[in-house]
Amino acid sequence: MEARRTKNIAALVWFVGLILAWECGAWVLQNVMHDSMHMQKLPYFHQVAGTFLVNFNSLLASAMVTLSRAFIGFILGAVVGVAVAIVMSLAKFVGKMLFPYLIISQMIPVLALAPIVYSIVKSQDAARIMLSAFITFFPVAVNMYSGLKSVDKDKIELVYSYTATKIDTYCKLMIPAALPHLFSGLKLSAPAAITAAILVEMLGTKEGIGIKILNSLYYGANGALIFWASVIMAALLGIFGYAVIAFIEKLVVHWEKGDREEGVS
Amino acid sequence: MSSTSEIQIRNVSMVYKGQKGEAIAALNNVNFNIREGEFISLLGPSGCGKTTLLRLMADLLKPTTGEIVIGGLTPGEARKTRQYGMVFQNPVLYEWRTIQKNICLPLEIMKIGRVERNEIAEEMLELVGLSDYANRYPRQLSGGMQQRVGIARALAINPKILLMDEPFSALDEFTRNKLQEDLLKIWSKTHKTVIFVTHNISEAVFLSDRVCVLTPHPGQLADVIDINLPRPRSNEVRDTPEFMSLLARIRKCFMGV
Repeated sequence: MEARRTKNIAALVWFVGLILAWECGAWVLQNVMHDSMHMQKLPYFHQVAGTFLVNFNSLLASAMVTLSRAFIGFILGAVVGVAVAIVMSLAKFVGKMLFPYLIISQMIPVLALAPIVYSIVKSQDAARIMLSAFITFFPVAVNMYSGLKSVDKDKIELVYSYTATKIDTYCKLMIPAALPHLFSGLKLSAPAAITAAILVEMLGTKEGIGIKILNSLYYGANGALIFWASVIMAALLGIFGYAVIAFIEKLVVHWEKGDREEGVS
Repeated sequence: MSSTSEIQIRNVSMVYKGQKGEAIAALNNVNFNIREGEFISLLGPSGCGKTTLLRLMADLLKPTTGEIVIGGLTPGEARKTRQYGMVFQNPVLYEWRTIQKNICLPLEIMKIGRVERNEIAEEMLELVGLSDYANRYPRQLSGGMQQRVGIARALAINPKILLMDEPFSALDEFTRNKLQEDLLKIWSKTHKTVIFVTHNISEAVFLSDRVCVLTPHPGQLADVIDINLPRPRSNEVRDTPEFMSLLARIRKCFMGV
Protein backbone atom coordinates (compact mmCIF):
# COMPACT_ATOMS: atom_id res chain seq x y z
CA MET A 1 0.00 0.00 0.00
CA GLU A 2 2.68 2.42 1.18
CA ALA A 3 5.02 1.46 -1.66
CA ARG A 4 2.25 1.95 -4.17
CA ARG A 5 1.49 5.46 -2.95
CA THR A 6 5.16 6.38 -3.11
CA LYS A 7 5.25 5.09 -6.68
CA ASN A 8 2.19 7.15 -7.64
CA ILE A 9 3.68 10.30 -6.13
CA ALA A 10 6.95 9.69 -7.96
CA ALA A 11 5.06 9.29 -11.25
CA LEU A 12 3.17 12.53 -10.64
CA VAL A 13 6.35 14.43 -9.80
CA TRP A 14 7.97 13.20 -13.00
CA PHE A 15 4.94 14.19 -15.06
CA VAL A 16 4.73 17.69 -13.62
CA GLY A 17 8.49 18.09 -13.91
CA LEU A 18 8.39 17.09 -17.58
CA ILE A 19 5.72 19.69 -18.36
CA LEU A 20 7.66 22.38 -16.48
CA ALA A 21 10.81 21.48 -18.43
CA TRP A 22 8.80 21.69 -21.65
CA GLU A 23 7.47 25.15 -20.77
CA CYS A 24 10.95 26.35 -19.80
CA GLY A 25 12.44 24.93 -23.00
CA ALA A 26 9.83 26.71 -25.11
CA TRP A 27 10.41 29.97 -23.24
CA VAL A 28 14.19 29.75 -23.72
CA LEU A 29 13.78 29.00 -27.41
CA GLN A 30 11.50 32.01 -27.86
CA ASN A 31 12.93 34.64 -25.51
CA VAL A 32 16.58 33.77 -25.08
CA MET A 33 17.56 32.22 -28.39
CA HIS A 34 15.03 34.26 -30.39
CA ASP A 35 14.50 31.33 -32.75
CA SER A 36 12.12 32.34 -35.53
CA MET A 37 11.04 28.71 -35.94
CA HIS A 38 10.27 28.28 -32.25
CA MET A 39 6.63 27.39 -32.93
CA GLN A 40 7.62 24.46 -35.13
CA LYS A 41 10.50 23.36 -32.96
CA LEU A 42 8.91 23.54 -29.55
CA PRO A 43 5.69 25.47 -28.88
CA TYR A 44 4.51 26.04 -25.31
CA PHE A 45 2.90 23.01 -23.75
CA HIS A 46 -0.15 25.00 -22.69
CA GLN A 47 -0.70 26.10 -26.29
CA VAL A 48 -0.41 22.54 -27.55
CA ALA A 49 -2.71 21.32 -24.80
CA GLY A 50 -5.20 24.04 -25.69
CA THR A 51 -5.13 23.09 -29.38
CA PHE A 52 -5.47 19.46 -28.39
CA LEU A 53 -8.59 20.16 -26.35
CA VAL A 54 -10.17 22.51 -28.91
CA ASN A 55 -9.65 20.01 -31.73
CA PHE A 56 -10.25 16.98 -29.56
CA ASN A 57 -13.24 15.66 -31.50
CA SER A 58 -11.61 15.82 -34.91
CA LEU A 59 -8.37 14.40 -33.49
CA LEU A 60 -10.27 11.57 -31.86
CA ALA A 61 -12.15 10.83 -35.08
CA SER A 62 -8.87 10.57 -36.98
CA ALA A 63 -7.35 8.49 -34.21
CA MET A 64 -10.26 6.07 -34.32
CA VAL A 65 -9.76 5.53 -38.05
CA THR A 66 -6.11 4.72 -37.42
CA LEU A 67 -6.84 2.62 -34.37
CA SER A 68 -9.49 0.49 -36.02
CA ARG A 69 -7.23 -0.39 -38.98
CA ALA A 70 -4.27 -1.01 -36.66
CA PHE A 71 -6.45 -3.18 -34.45
CA ILE A 72 -7.58 -5.42 -37.31
CA GLY A 73 -3.96 -5.76 -38.43
CA PHE A 74 -2.85 -6.45 -34.87
CA ILE A 75 -5.37 -9.26 -34.42
CA LEU A 76 -4.45 -10.73 -37.81
CA GLY A 77 -0.74 -10.57 -37.11
CA ALA A 78 -1.16 -11.99 -33.62
CA VAL A 79 -3.28 -14.93 -34.80
CA VAL A 80 -0.84 -15.77 -37.58
CA GLY A 81 2.09 -15.29 -35.22
CA VAL A 82 0.66 -17.66 -32.61
CA ALA A 83 -0.25 -20.20 -35.29
CA VAL A 84 3.24 -20.13 -36.82
CA ALA A 85 4.82 -20.48 -33.37
CA ILE A 86 2.68 -23.53 -32.61
CA VAL A 87 3.49 -25.14 -35.96
CA MET A 88 7.19 -24.43 -35.38
CA SER A 89 7.09 -26.08 -31.96
CA LEU A 90 5.09 -29.05 -33.25
CA ALA A 91 7.45 -29.77 -36.14
CA LYS A 92 11.07 -29.04 -35.32
CA PHE A 93 12.20 -29.04 -38.94
CA VAL A 94 9.65 -26.35 -39.76
CA GLY A 95 11.02 -24.31 -36.88
CA LYS A 96 14.58 -24.67 -38.09
CA MET A 97 13.53 -23.89 -41.65
CA LEU A 98 11.37 -20.86 -40.85
CA PHE A 99 13.35 -19.18 -38.13
CA PRO A 100 16.03 -17.58 -40.35
CA TYR A 101 13.31 -16.19 -42.61
CA LEU A 102 11.52 -14.73 -39.63
CA ILE A 103 14.69 -12.90 -38.72
CA ILE A 104 15.27 -11.76 -42.33
CA SER A 105 11.72 -10.45 -42.52
CA GLN A 106 12.62 -8.12 -39.68
CA MET A 107 15.62 -6.78 -41.60
CA ILE A 108 13.31 -5.15 -44.15
CA PRO A 109 12.72 -1.58 -43.01
CA VAL A 110 9.01 -0.93 -42.62
CA LEU A 111 9.65 2.49 -44.07
CA ALA A 112 10.65 0.82 -47.34
CA LEU A 113 7.96 -1.81 -47.17
CA ALA A 114 5.08 0.62 -46.68
CA PRO A 115 5.15 2.23 -50.15
CA ILE A 116 5.69 -1.14 -51.81
CA VAL A 117 2.69 -2.69 -50.08
CA TYR A 118 0.62 0.42 -50.71
CA SER A 119 1.41 0.44 -54.41
CA ILE A 120 0.66 -3.27 -54.74
CA VAL A 121 -2.65 -3.45 -52.85
CA LYS A 122 -3.71 0.07 -53.86
CA SER A 123 -6.04 0.25 -50.89
CA GLN A 124 -5.48 2.51 -47.92
CA ASP A 125 -7.25 0.18 -45.55
CA ALA A 126 -5.65 -3.02 -46.80
CA ALA A 127 -2.19 -1.42 -46.70
CA ARG A 128 -2.65 -0.18 -43.15
CA ILE A 129 -3.97 -3.54 -41.98
CA MET A 130 -1.24 -5.50 -43.74
CA LEU A 131 1.58 -3.42 -42.37
CA SER A 132 0.17 -3.49 -38.84
CA ALA A 133 -0.17 -7.24 -39.14
CA PHE A 134 3.38 -7.55 -40.48
CA ILE A 135 4.79 -5.56 -37.56
CA THR A 136 2.74 -7.49 -35.03
CA PHE A 137 3.60 -10.89 -36.41
CA PHE A 138 7.29 -11.08 -35.55
CA PRO A 139 7.36 -10.22 -31.81
CA VAL A 140 4.32 -12.41 -31.27
CA ALA A 141 5.70 -15.40 -33.19
CA VAL A 142 9.15 -15.20 -31.60
CA ASN A 143 7.89 -14.71 -28.05
CA MET A 144 5.23 -17.39 -28.36
CA TYR A 145 7.78 -19.80 -29.84
CA SER A 146 10.25 -19.19 -27.04
CA GLY A 147 7.41 -19.58 -24.55
CA LEU A 148 6.47 -22.95 -26.03
CA LYS A 149 10.10 -24.03 -26.01
CA SER A 150 10.63 -23.08 -22.37
CA VAL A 151 7.82 -25.18 -20.89
CA ASP A 152 9.25 -27.24 -18.00
CA LYS A 153 10.31 -30.73 -18.97
CA ASP A 154 8.63 -32.07 -15.82
CA LYS A 155 5.30 -30.62 -16.88
CA ILE A 156 5.59 -32.26 -20.29
CA GLU A 157 6.55 -35.60 -18.73
CA LEU A 158 3.50 -35.35 -16.50
CA VAL A 159 1.02 -35.21 -19.38
CA TYR A 160 3.11 -37.80 -21.23
CA SER A 161 2.70 -40.14 -18.26
CA TYR A 162 -1.05 -39.75 -18.66
CA THR A 163 -0.75 -40.44 -22.39
CA ALA A 164 -2.32 -37.11 -23.35
CA THR A 165 -3.13 -36.41 -26.98
CA LYS A 166 -1.25 -33.65 -28.80
CA ILE A 167 -4.37 -31.48 -28.66
CA ASP A 168 -4.72 -31.94 -24.89
CA THR A 169 -1.00 -31.35 -24.42
CA TYR A 170 -1.25 -28.03 -26.24
CA CYS A 171 -4.58 -26.87 -24.84
CA LYS A 172 -3.95 -27.85 -21.25
CA LEU A 173 -0.21 -27.29 -20.98
CA MET A 174 1.82 -25.73 -23.78
CA ILE A 175 -0.40 -22.77 -24.65
CA PRO A 176 -1.31 -21.73 -21.08
CA ALA A 177 2.34 -22.08 -20.05
CA ALA A 178 3.42 -19.88 -22.96
CA LEU A 179 0.87 -17.12 -22.23
CA PRO A 180 3.22 -14.90 -20.19
CA HIS A 181 5.68 -14.96 -23.12
CA LEU A 182 2.89 -14.30 -25.59
CA PHE A 183 1.83 -11.20 -23.70
CA SER A 184 5.40 -9.86 -23.73
CA GLY A 185 5.19 -10.09 -27.50
CA LEU A 186 1.73 -8.54 -27.67
CA LYS A 187 2.81 -5.61 -25.50
CA LEU A 188 5.67 -4.91 -27.88
CA SER A 189 3.43 -5.28 -30.91
CA ALA A 190 0.42 -3.21 -29.91
CA PRO A 191 2.06 0.25 -30.09
CA ALA A 192 4.15 -0.87 -33.08
CA ALA A 193 1.03 -1.87 -35.00
CA ILE A 194 -0.37 1.64 -34.47
CA THR A 195 2.90 3.20 -35.61
CA ALA A 196 2.79 1.04 -38.74
CA ALA A 197 -0.72 2.23 -39.58
CA ILE A 198 0.36 5.85 -39.08
CA LEU A 199 3.33 5.29 -41.35
CA VAL A 200 1.10 4.12 -44.19
CA GLU A 201 -1.18 7.10 -43.64
CA MET A 202 1.75 9.44 -44.06
CA LEU A 203 2.10 8.17 -47.63
CA GLY A 204 -1.23 9.90 -48.26
CA THR A 205 -4.57 8.52 -47.15
CA LYS A 206 -7.92 10.23 -46.81
CA GLU A 207 -8.24 9.96 -43.06
CA GLY A 208 -6.27 8.98 -40.03
CA ILE A 209 -3.98 10.56 -37.50
CA GLY A 210 -0.98 10.05 -39.79
CA ILE A 211 -2.36 12.21 -42.57
CA LYS A 212 -3.30 14.83 -40.00
CA ILE A 213 0.32 14.98 -38.89
CA LEU A 214 1.50 15.19 -42.49
CA ASN A 215 -0.98 17.91 -43.53
CA SER A 216 -0.29 20.08 -40.51
CA LEU A 217 3.33 20.37 -41.63
CA TYR A 218 2.20 22.57 -44.56
CA TYR A 219 0.56 25.27 -42.46
CA GLY A 220 3.43 27.10 -40.71
CA ALA A 221 3.13 28.26 -37.14
CA ASN A 222 -0.62 27.50 -36.87
CA GLY A 223 -0.10 24.07 -38.30
CA ALA A 224 2.65 23.46 -35.79
CA LEU A 225 0.19 23.41 -32.92
CA ILE A 226 -2.05 20.96 -34.76
CA PHE A 227 1.06 18.96 -35.61
CA TRP A 228 2.05 18.71 -31.94
CA ALA A 229 -1.50 17.97 -30.84
CA SER A 230 -1.71 15.19 -33.45
CA VAL A 231 1.60 13.76 -32.33
CA ILE A 232 0.31 13.71 -28.76
CA MET A 233 -2.84 11.96 -29.92
CA ALA A 234 -0.72 9.41 -31.79
CA ALA A 235 1.39 8.85 -28.70
CA LEU A 236 -1.74 8.42 -26.59
CA LEU A 237 -2.95 5.83 -29.08
CA GLY A 238 0.23 3.84 -28.59
CA ILE A 239 -0.03 4.10 -24.82
CA PHE A 240 -3.67 3.06 -25.03
CA GLY A 241 -2.76 0.01 -27.10
CA TYR A 242 -0.14 -1.02 -24.61
CA ALA A 243 -2.40 -0.38 -21.63
CA VAL A 244 -5.23 -2.47 -23.05
CA ILE A 245 -2.92 -5.44 -23.59
CA ALA A 246 -1.36 -4.99 -20.14
CA PHE A 247 -4.85 -4.95 -18.63
CA ILE A 248 -5.90 -8.11 -20.44
CA GLU A 249 -2.61 -9.70 -19.39
CA LYS A 250 -3.39 -9.01 -15.76
CA LEU A 251 -6.76 -10.71 -16.11
CA VAL A 252 -5.48 -13.70 -18.05
CA VAL A 253 -2.04 -14.32 -16.52
CA HIS A 254 -3.28 -13.92 -12.97
CA TRP A 255 -1.10 -16.66 -11.51
CA GLU A 256 2.22 -14.90 -12.02
CA LYS A 257 1.94 -12.59 -9.04
CA GLY A 258 0.76 -12.75 -5.47
CA ASP A 259 1.86 -13.73 -2.03
CA ARG A 260 2.14 -17.18 -0.66
CA GLU A 261 0.02 -17.95 2.32
CA GLU A 262 1.34 -19.80 5.30
CA GLY A 263 -0.51 -22.97 6.10
CA VAL A 264 -0.14 -26.49 7.33
CA SER A 265 2.70 -28.44 5.76
CA MET B 1 0.28 -59.32 1.55
CA SER B 2 -0.13 -60.96 -1.81
CA SER B 3 2.93 -62.68 -3.21
CA THR B 4 2.24 -62.23 -6.91
CA SER B 5 4.91 -60.25 -8.73
CA GLU B 6 3.45 -56.97 -9.85
CA ILE B 7 6.61 -55.65 -11.41
CA GLN B 8 9.47 -57.71 -12.77
CA ILE B 9 12.78 -56.12 -13.59
CA ARG B 10 14.85 -58.53 -15.65
CA ASN B 11 18.53 -58.02 -16.54
CA VAL B 12 17.97 -54.32 -16.99
CA SER B 13 20.96 -52.26 -18.09
CA MET B 14 20.98 -48.66 -19.14
CA VAL B 15 23.84 -46.99 -20.96
CA TYR B 16 23.83 -43.26 -21.64
CA LYS B 17 25.93 -41.50 -24.23
CA GLY B 18 28.13 -38.93 -22.51
CA GLN B 19 28.93 -35.52 -23.94
CA LYS B 20 32.06 -36.80 -25.71
CA GLY B 21 30.14 -39.81 -27.02
CA GLU B 22 31.57 -42.11 -24.36
CA ALA B 23 29.32 -44.75 -22.86
CA ILE B 24 28.18 -44.16 -19.28
CA ALA B 25 26.64 -47.13 -17.51
CA ALA B 26 23.77 -45.84 -15.40
CA LEU B 27 22.40 -49.26 -14.52
CA ASN B 28 24.15 -52.59 -14.75
CA ASN B 29 22.13 -55.79 -14.95
CA VAL B 30 19.45 -55.15 -12.36
CA ASN B 31 17.13 -58.03 -11.46
CA PHE B 32 14.29 -57.52 -9.04
CA ASN B 33 10.66 -58.36 -8.41
CA ILE B 34 8.12 -56.17 -6.70
CA ARG B 35 5.02 -57.68 -5.18
CA GLU B 36 1.53 -56.27 -5.39
CA GLY B 37 0.75 -53.80 -2.62
CA GLU B 38 4.35 -53.57 -1.52
CA PHE B 39 6.12 -50.38 -0.45
CA ILE B 40 9.57 -50.44 -2.04
CA SER B 41 12.30 -47.84 -1.73
CA LEU B 42 15.09 -47.42 -4.22
CA LEU B 43 17.87 -46.02 -2.09
CA GLY B 44 21.29 -44.78 -3.05
CA PRO B 45 23.54 -41.77 -3.57
CA SER B 46 23.29 -39.65 -6.69
CA GLY B 47 24.55 -41.48 -9.74
CA CYS B 48 23.37 -44.89 -8.55
CA GLY B 49 20.65 -45.04 -11.19
CA LYS B 50 17.67 -45.07 -8.82
CA THR B 51 15.80 -42.36 -10.70
CA THR B 52 16.78 -43.98 -13.99
CA LEU B 53 15.21 -47.22 -12.81
CA LEU B 54 12.01 -45.41 -11.84
CA ARG B 55 11.88 -43.59 -15.18
CA LEU B 56 12.31 -46.91 -16.98
CA MET B 57 9.23 -48.22 -15.17
CA ALA B 58 7.35 -45.04 -16.06
CA ASP B 59 8.23 -45.41 -19.77
CA LEU B 60 10.03 -42.08 -19.67
CA LEU B 61 13.19 -43.98 -20.68
CA LYS B 62 13.84 -47.21 -22.58
CA PRO B 63 16.37 -49.72 -21.22
CA THR B 64 19.44 -50.48 -23.32
CA THR B 65 19.03 -54.18 -22.58
CA GLY B 66 16.71 -56.26 -20.45
CA GLU B 67 13.01 -55.81 -19.85
CA ILE B 68 10.52 -54.57 -17.33
CA VAL B 69 7.10 -56.20 -16.98
CA ILE B 70 4.36 -54.38 -15.10
CA GLY B 71 1.33 -56.54 -14.37
CA GLY B 72 2.05 -58.50 -17.56
CA LEU B 73 2.44 -55.35 -19.64
CA THR B 74 5.40 -53.45 -21.06
CA PRO B 75 6.04 -50.05 -19.44
CA GLY B 76 4.61 -48.41 -22.57
CA GLU B 77 1.40 -50.43 -22.34
CA ALA B 78 1.23 -49.80 -18.60
CA ARG B 79 1.50 -46.06 -19.22
CA LYS B 80 -1.17 -46.09 -21.93
CA THR B 81 -3.57 -48.04 -19.73
CA ARG B 82 -2.74 -45.75 -16.78
CA GLN B 83 -1.43 -48.39 -14.43
CA TYR B 84 0.72 -45.93 -12.54
CA GLY B 85 0.60 -42.43 -11.12
CA MET B 86 3.80 -40.44 -10.92
CA VAL B 87 4.88 -38.02 -8.18
CA PHE B 88 7.85 -35.88 -9.10
CA GLN B 89 10.62 -34.29 -7.06
CA ASN B 90 9.11 -30.88 -7.72
CA PRO B 91 5.37 -30.96 -7.28
CA VAL B 92 4.96 -30.06 -11.01
CA LEU B 93 1.67 -28.28 -10.54
CA TYR B 94 0.22 -26.15 -13.32
CA GLU B 95 0.29 -22.65 -11.85
CA TRP B 96 -2.72 -21.46 -13.86
CA ARG B 97 -4.99 -24.11 -12.41
CA THR B 98 -6.50 -24.20 -8.95
CA ILE B 99 -5.58 -27.10 -6.67
CA GLN B 100 -8.82 -28.85 -7.57
CA LYS B 101 -8.27 -28.31 -11.29
CA ASN B 102 -4.72 -29.63 -10.97
CA ILE B 103 -6.07 -32.85 -9.52
CA CYS B 104 -8.69 -32.98 -12.28
CA LEU B 105 -6.05 -32.68 -15.03
CA PRO B 106 -5.40 -36.41 -15.53
CA LEU B 107 -9.15 -37.04 -15.34
CA GLU B 108 -9.78 -34.47 -18.07
CA ILE B 109 -7.21 -36.21 -20.23
CA MET B 110 -9.07 -39.48 -19.59
CA LYS B 111 -12.29 -37.76 -20.75
CA ILE B 112 -14.07 -38.30 -17.46
CA GLY B 113 -17.16 -36.09 -17.04
CA ARG B 114 -17.04 -32.92 -14.98
CA VAL B 115 -19.32 -34.06 -12.17
CA GLU B 116 -17.40 -37.27 -11.61
CA ARG B 117 -14.10 -35.40 -11.94
CA ASN B 118 -15.01 -33.01 -9.17
CA GLU B 119 -16.24 -35.84 -6.95
CA ILE B 120 -12.93 -37.65 -7.33
CA ALA B 121 -10.96 -34.45 -6.76
CA GLU B 122 -12.86 -33.72 -3.55
CA GLU B 123 -12.26 -37.24 -2.34
CA MET B 124 -8.54 -36.95 -3.09
CA LEU B 125 -8.30 -33.56 -1.40
CA GLU B 126 -9.83 -35.04 1.70
CA LEU B 127 -7.42 -37.96 1.57
CA VAL B 128 -4.40 -35.62 1.61
CA GLY B 129 -6.01 -33.19 4.05
CA LEU B 130 -6.39 -30.21 1.74
CA SER B 131 -10.18 -29.94 1.43
CA ASP B 132 -10.09 -26.28 2.46
CA TYR B 133 -7.64 -25.39 -0.29
CA ALA B 134 -9.52 -26.65 -3.34
CA ASN B 135 -9.87 -23.23 -4.94
CA ARG B 136 -6.42 -21.89 -4.10
CA TYR B 137 -3.63 -21.61 -6.64
CA PRO B 138 -0.37 -23.54 -6.26
CA ARG B 139 1.63 -20.40 -5.43
CA GLN B 140 -0.58 -19.87 -2.39
CA LEU B 141 0.49 -23.20 -0.89
CA SER B 142 3.64 -24.18 1.01
CA GLY B 143 6.06 -26.70 -0.49
CA GLY B 144 4.67 -29.50 1.65
CA MET B 145 1.10 -28.73 0.66
CA GLN B 146 2.08 -28.59 -3.00
CA GLN B 147 3.61 -32.02 -2.74
CA ARG B 148 0.38 -33.31 -1.15
CA VAL B 149 -1.45 -32.03 -4.21
CA GLY B 150 1.05 -33.93 -6.36
CA ILE B 151 0.20 -37.12 -4.47
CA ALA B 152 -3.54 -36.46 -4.73
CA ARG B 153 -3.23 -35.93 -8.48
CA ALA B 154 -1.27 -39.16 -8.90
CA LEU B 155 -3.92 -41.08 -6.95
CA ALA B 156 -6.87 -39.44 -8.75
CA ILE B 157 -6.74 -41.86 -11.69
CA ASN B 158 -6.80 -44.73 -9.18
CA PRO B 159 -3.67 -46.41 -10.52
CA LYS B 160 -2.39 -49.72 -9.18
CA ILE B 161 1.12 -48.34 -8.81
CA LEU B 162 2.51 -45.13 -7.40
CA LEU B 163 5.93 -44.07 -8.71
CA MET B 164 7.53 -41.46 -6.46
CA ASP B 165 10.76 -39.72 -7.43
CA GLU B 166 12.34 -38.17 -4.30
CA PRO B 167 9.06 -36.38 -3.57
CA PHE B 168 10.07 -35.06 -0.14
CA SER B 169 13.72 -34.22 -0.78
CA ALA B 170 13.12 -30.48 -1.10
CA LEU B 171 11.20 -30.20 2.17
CA ASP B 172 12.48 -29.35 5.62
CA GLU B 173 12.84 -32.23 8.06
CA PHE B 174 9.73 -31.48 10.12
CA THR B 175 7.51 -31.22 7.07
CA ARG B 176 9.16 -34.28 5.57
CA ASN B 177 8.50 -36.42 8.64
CA LYS B 178 4.88 -35.34 8.72
CA LEU B 179 4.41 -36.15 5.05
CA GLN B 180 6.11 -39.52 5.44
CA GLU B 181 3.70 -40.41 8.21
CA ASP B 182 0.73 -39.22 6.17
CA LEU B 183 1.94 -41.10 3.09
CA LEU B 184 1.88 -44.33 5.10
CA LYS B 185 -1.69 -43.58 6.19
CA ILE B 186 -2.71 -42.93 2.60
CA TRP B 187 -0.93 -46.08 1.48
CA SER B 188 -2.72 -48.22 4.07
CA LYS B 189 -6.05 -46.81 2.90
CA THR B 190 -5.42 -47.16 -0.84
CA HIS B 191 -3.39 -50.41 -1.08
CA LYS B 192 -1.18 -49.18 -3.88
CA THR B 193 2.14 -50.65 -4.88
CA VAL B 194 4.60 -47.85 -4.15
CA ILE B 195 8.06 -47.44 -5.65
CA PHE B 196 9.74 -44.64 -3.75
CA VAL B 197 13.08 -43.19 -4.83
CA THR B 198 15.14 -41.53 -2.11
CA HIS B 199 18.69 -40.80 -0.99
CA ASN B 200 17.61 -40.59 2.64
CA ILE B 201 18.32 -43.83 4.56
CA SER B 202 15.98 -43.12 7.45
CA GLU B 203 13.18 -42.15 5.08
CA ALA B 204 13.60 -45.44 3.19
CA VAL B 205 13.58 -47.50 6.40
CA PHE B 206 10.63 -45.66 7.90
CA LEU B 207 8.42 -46.09 4.83
CA SER B 208 9.30 -49.37 3.23
CA ASP B 209 8.59 -53.07 3.33
CA ARG B 210 11.85 -53.58 1.48
CA VAL B 211 14.72 -51.25 0.66
CA CYS B 212 16.66 -51.77 -2.56
CA VAL B 213 20.16 -50.53 -1.99
CA LEU B 214 21.75 -49.25 -5.18
CA THR B 215 25.44 -48.40 -5.47
CA PRO B 216 26.93 -46.16 -8.15
CA HIS B 217 29.53 -46.45 -10.95
CA PRO B 218 27.91 -48.31 -12.46
CA GLY B 219 24.50 -48.32 -10.80
CA GLN B 220 23.69 -51.76 -9.53
CA LEU B 221 21.49 -53.43 -6.99
CA ALA B 222 23.82 -54.10 -4.03
CA ASP B 223 21.32 -55.54 -1.58
CA VAL B 224 17.65 -55.80 -0.75
CA ILE B 225 16.89 -55.27 2.93
CA ASP B 226 13.64 -56.44 4.52
CA ILE B 227 12.21 -53.92 6.94
CA ASN B 228 10.30 -55.90 9.49
CA LEU B 229 9.22 -52.99 11.64
CA PRO B 230 5.59 -53.37 12.73
CA ARG B 231 2.87 -51.39 11.01
CA PRO B 232 1.19 -48.99 11.36
CA ARG B 233 4.33 -46.98 11.94
CA SER B 234 4.43 -43.56 13.52
CA ASN B 235 7.34 -41.22 14.11
CA GLU B 236 8.13 -42.92 17.44
CA VAL B 237 9.46 -45.93 15.55
CA ARG B 238 12.46 -43.84 14.54
CA ASP B 239 13.79 -43.96 18.12
CA THR B 240 13.64 -47.73 18.51
CA PRO B 241 16.82 -49.85 18.54
CA GLU B 242 15.45 -51.94 15.65
CA PHE B 243 15.20 -48.82 13.52
CA MET B 244 18.73 -47.77 14.45
CA SER B 245 20.20 -51.14 13.67
CA LEU B 246 18.49 -51.14 10.26
CA LEU B 247 20.03 -47.73 9.55
CA ALA B 248 23.43 -49.05 10.55
CA ARG B 249 23.02 -52.14 8.40
CA ILE B 250 22.13 -50.10 5.33
CA ARG B 251 24.91 -47.63 5.95
CA LYS B 252 27.31 -50.56 5.86
CA CYS B 253 26.19 -51.36 2.30
CA PHE B 254 27.61 -48.05 1.14
CA MET B 255 30.97 -48.42 2.87
CA GLY B 256 33.85 -48.42 0.50
CA VAL B 257 31.63 -47.18 -2.31
